[in-house]
Amino acid sequence: MRLGSPALPWLLLAPALAATVLLVLVPVGETVWLSLHDVILFRPRVRPFVGLGNYVAVLGDALFWESLGHSVVWVVAAVSLQFGLGLCTALLLNRTFAWRAVARALVIVPWALPSVIIGLVWTWMLDFNLGLVNQLGVRWGLLEAPIAWLARPDTAMAAVILAVVWQGFPFFAVTLLAGLQAIPREHYEAAEIDGAGVFAAFVNVTLPGLAPVIATSLLLRMIWVSNSLDLILVMTGGGPGTSTHTLPLYAFLKAWSGANYGYGSALAVVLTVLLLAVVIGYAVRAGREVRA
Amino acid sequence: MKRRNLLAGTAAVAAAPLVAVHAQKPVVVRWWYHFDDPKASPAALVADFERANPGITVQAENIPWGGGADYDTRLYTSIIAGNAPDAAMVKFNNLTRLLEMEALAPLDRLLAGWAGRADISDDLWNLHKAPDGKAYYLPVQYVVLYLYCRQDWFAEKGLKLPVSFDDFQTAAMALTGGERWGFGLRGGAGGHDHWCSFVLGGGARMVKGGLVSPAALAANRWFIGLHTERHVFPPSAPNDGFQQIIANMKAGRTAMTIHHIGSANDMVAALGDKITAVPVPRGPQGQGWTSFGDGSNALLAQGKNQEAAWKWISYLSTGPANVAFNRLSGQVTVTKSGAATWDVQPKRFVEATVNSLPIAATLPSTPQTADFTRTVWPQTTQKALLGQITADDMMAIFEKHYFG
Repeated sequence: MRLGSPALPWLLLAPALAATVLLVLVPVGETVWLSLHDVILFRPRVRPFVGLGNYVAVLGDALFWESLGHSVVWVVAAVSLQFGLGLCTALLLNRTFAWRAVARALVIVPWALPSVIIGLVWTWMLDFNLGLVNQLGVRWGLLEAPIAWLARPDTAMAAVILAVVWQGFPFFAVTLLAGLQAIPREHYEAAEIDGAGVFAAFVNVTLPGLAPVIATSLLLRMIWVSNSLDLILVMTGGGPGTSTHTLPLYAFLKAWSGANYGYGSALAVVLTVLLLAVVIGYAVRAGREVRA
Repeated sequence: MKRRNLLAGTAAVAAAPLVAVHAQKPVVVRWWYHFDDPKASPAALVADFERANPGITVQAENIPWGGGADYDTRLYTSIIAGNAPDAAMVKFNNLTRLLEMEALAPLDRLLAGWAGRADISDDLWNLHKAPDGKAYYLPVQYVVLYLYCRQDWFAEKGLKLPVSFDDFQTAAMALTGGERWGFGLRGGAGGHDHWCSFVLGGGARMVKGGLVSPAALAANRWFIGLHTERHVFPPSAPNDGFQQIIANMKAGRTAMTIHHIGSANDMVAALGDKITAVPVPRGPQGQGWTSFGDGSNALLAQGKNQEAAWKWISYLSTGPANVAFNRLSGQVTVTKSGAATWDVQPKRFVEATVNSLPIAATLPSTPQTADFTRTVWPQTTQKALLGQITADDMMAIFEKHYFG
């Protein structure tokens, strides 16, 4: 085949495309197909076609709407706090100080730990009777009495968000640090000559310089956090009651624990459609970067 | 003709070693199991069995438990995929689902000719009977939930170990104060066992209308009131799971909790003689209910080596092997011969287990039970404990879940 042949790019892409079709598109198609049927795992011989019945049931399901609301809170709070903390950390790590290399290595630790481990660590740190947070809080006078962080509907969501922020901020820190190091020194020097202070330099040089990295990392992280359920599953199981019930957790519990794969698949498809808006945003942005 | 005979003869001679090799090829029995202690391994039992049964190899596969949901779902999916093990450890609450999948092989014919049958008590056989009257499960371990009590605190306050609900409430209130609570409730997943002891033991019945009868509603109001009005459970109770109730008891934060003999050695290691166990208290009419924690082996219908698999699971339920098995599982032997010399846990915990047998029961073996225990019970009960719904609403949700 000639190098200039129009078929060559497709030929080179063929293995990746085949893997994507097999590992992504086929399971997605299967999920959509399951969502159109009444599939109960322990009744494998009976799976009647119900059309959009599961989707109609989802729209009338109060727990679906509650879970969707919790998902919005979970994603917005988790990603914005991770971003804020990650940006501050990146700015700090971009400065020169003793042991900077060690600090840069250590900051990645939460990101490298498995979610289940992080969930267990935070569960015990926040434990009402034996947890470090309550022990130190009471000892230092910050708390009048221990608080059952994971057993109160007004604190449980904040507690799991705290854990996911701790887990996820290193992603932003490392990504934004790489972006910071790519901003030419001359831009800061020019801003200084123009009389810009630290804040003005940050607004007019740093932020515009980081904008592409910020946009891409925010989009990616939103997709990951939207899909994640492991931390919540370990720390609260969606409780107390349903106060930390998010949409992916609901789909998981319906399918995995309730053995109702039809309804669980419908929930998963709805979540996918909602996430498509973010994914399309990411794809458009990535395409623009490639063209640039 | 001669040439054809010669070829046939040559083929036969050539195939002979293959036939011999095939005949000697060991039968592989795939067996799924789970122990609470992930470090426990049945390797010694497997080796012992394989020595006594040359030609059979046991491939023991440790399957993650995940509160039961992981194990069960993996078993269901393996059955649907046609890749089920030959035998697997199973629990009574998924019997109906497995029967609905036609996944189990009946054991009646095999049990009829098995010498070990008489060494397992009739009580256990009756508890394991399937709705269609056949036997599908071979008991291998059991536990009965009982009430752990800090007997030193009871003595300090001059309280008697609880026998009735009234005794229980009096003790729980007397022992609550400061950083100490009367009872460590498991409000998270798996806590239905605690609720059953108080509400099914207090008059609720698992029949249509039985969860919303006046007696059932009264029992549940009292149970929820222990938290919302009398405050004898720790504030963390709605989310506490197995790890928390055990840790709280060991750390001296709770005076009582409900669990089984599987945690007895751990409790004694932390508290010594300060801790004891008694059967769960009985309700106002003298009735009681405690959860029978069963553990059995079953043969899967699609298993290709059922005869060899039967040899393996029947070995595990026989005398010394069953004792060795339960040393690993931390539960109690199902054999009468093994029970006579049982020394795995201190005697007082064995007595509490045996004395609990008369009120031991299981939730109904219906498809609703698995979802009830995993999702419906914790979500609904947590809401009632937090005052988001009433105790009566809670029972109405359970009634609807089970009986429509």
